[in-house]
Amino acid sequence: MRRRPAQAAAAGYALIDAAVILGPSVVLAAAAEKGGVADLHGLDLIIASAVIAAVHARLAYRRMIAEIRAAVRVTDAWIAAINALVVLALAVVLVLLAVLGGFADEHAVLVGDGWPVVGLWVGVQLAAVAAAEITGWLVFRWLEPSAGSRGPA
Amino acid sequence: MREVSRRQVVAAGLGIAGAGLAGGATAAAFQLLYREDLIPGDPIDVRLQPDAWRTTTDDLTFVALGDSGSGGRQAVEVASRMAATYEEEPFGLIAHLGDICYYGSIRDRFEEVFLRPMGSFVDAGVEIELAVGNHDGGIFFSDESLAEIETTLELLGTPDRYYVSTHGPADFFYLDSSAPSLLGAGALEQLSWFENALASSTARWKIVAMHHPIYSSGLHGSSLARRELLEPIFVRHGVDLVFAGHDHHYERTLPIDGVTYVVTGGGCKTTPVDPQEFTAFAESTLEFVLVRIDGDRLVSRAIRPDGDIVDRFELGATDAR
Repeated sequence: MRRRPAQAAAAGYALIDAAVILGPSVVLAAAAEKGGVADLHGLDLIIASAVIAAVHARLAYRRMIAEIRAAVRVTDAWIAAINALVVLALAVVLVLLAVLGGFADEHAVLVGDGWPVVGLWVGVQLAAVAAAEITGWLVFRWLEPSAGSRGPA
Repeated sequence: MREVSRRQVVAAGLGIAGAGLAGGATAAAFQLLYREDLIPGDPIDVRLQPDAWRTTTDDLTFVALGDSGSGGRQAVEVASRMAATYEEEPFGLIAHLGDICYYGSIRDRFEEVFLRPMGSFVDAGVEIELAVGNHDGGIFFSDESLAEIETTLELLGTPDRYYVSTHGPADFFYLDSSAPSLLGAGALEQLSWFENALASSTARWKIVAMHHPIYSSGLHGSSLARRELLEPIFVRHGVDLVFAGHDHHYERTLPIDGVTYVVTGGGCKTTPVDPQEFTAFAESTLEFVLVRIDGDRLVSRAIRPDGDIVDRFELGATDAR
């Protein structure tokens, strides 16, 4: 794959990655805004997600470029990337719902004790990011077992 | 063209299948996240002046609020606006229209779903009276749900599943609108009690509080079975105003045979509304209703968490008769 199209495609992938991470916080803010809550509601969650999204988008971009260069077949890098993105999309919202809905009492007690809910939020998002990275790494290594022993193409 | 490997087919297939699953699952999950108030809310840190309101034989200020039982941030936002309103216009009563506890048992969650948003009002001495909702005990009267209802009533100090209370110039009739109690075996007893209570009421204002609305343009819609039972009674006995929750929006009907119906179920979450021919005003929003009675005049305002007045209407005590 030529250098410029690869960079552009990887950048597009990184943007989608960031949007997926930001999604839940934006949805919550939209619900509150529609419900008549003041504008700053949910800003803490959006900021936290934006930071994680920015960091992970950069990591995802660099991972994509490295894997595209290392792969015998560029398609393998994209297959691994798509699988990682799918896991990210599922984890970032389903894990959140499972944690919030399944452990409502526990979270409420923590919040009541002064623990900021943004800590819970960051934890869930980092878990989702970790799951996505592990998936992408595993799938790429499975498709390209010898990729680690080659330098960039 | 390079040959496609078996591993590529498997990995790509999993990715495509996963994308399909992710699309459907995340769409449903986002809807759930949008609709439910799941992020835990912080306790309201405000001390309200106790007994600040003024209730006389002519004057009363009260709040009607429904479906607040999430313990989440949006429930806290609504309660925060109520607290801010109390500081300007104190009220001595909150008529709660049911569903004070979602997502679990009320004994386990009482602190976060009720005390966290409402604790300031409890400390200030505001009376909180409940019309039982379907989430307060389940609508099928299993042994488990019966226990849940009894726990709810006990924790709130609610005298019974249906009862009347007098505040200033108004009698409040709290109904148990659940299916077993109003549409099943318990109906005769409750309706008989209700007719007698209305007939013996000499209050200038007769206000009914119940959970299931008989006029609603919301997600659950109007309960026609309950309407058939209750509307003739309301009209016959000159009920002025009927508050209900259950649908998570605000709605006011045009006067129907002298009775105005208000849905105020936006205590913590919102659901869509599609105004019907009986609707005077409706909006899918978080809100509570502040009512001020001054002699023969009643002024009602629906207030959003950001302080905006969604709707305002006035009634005269003679309007219903």
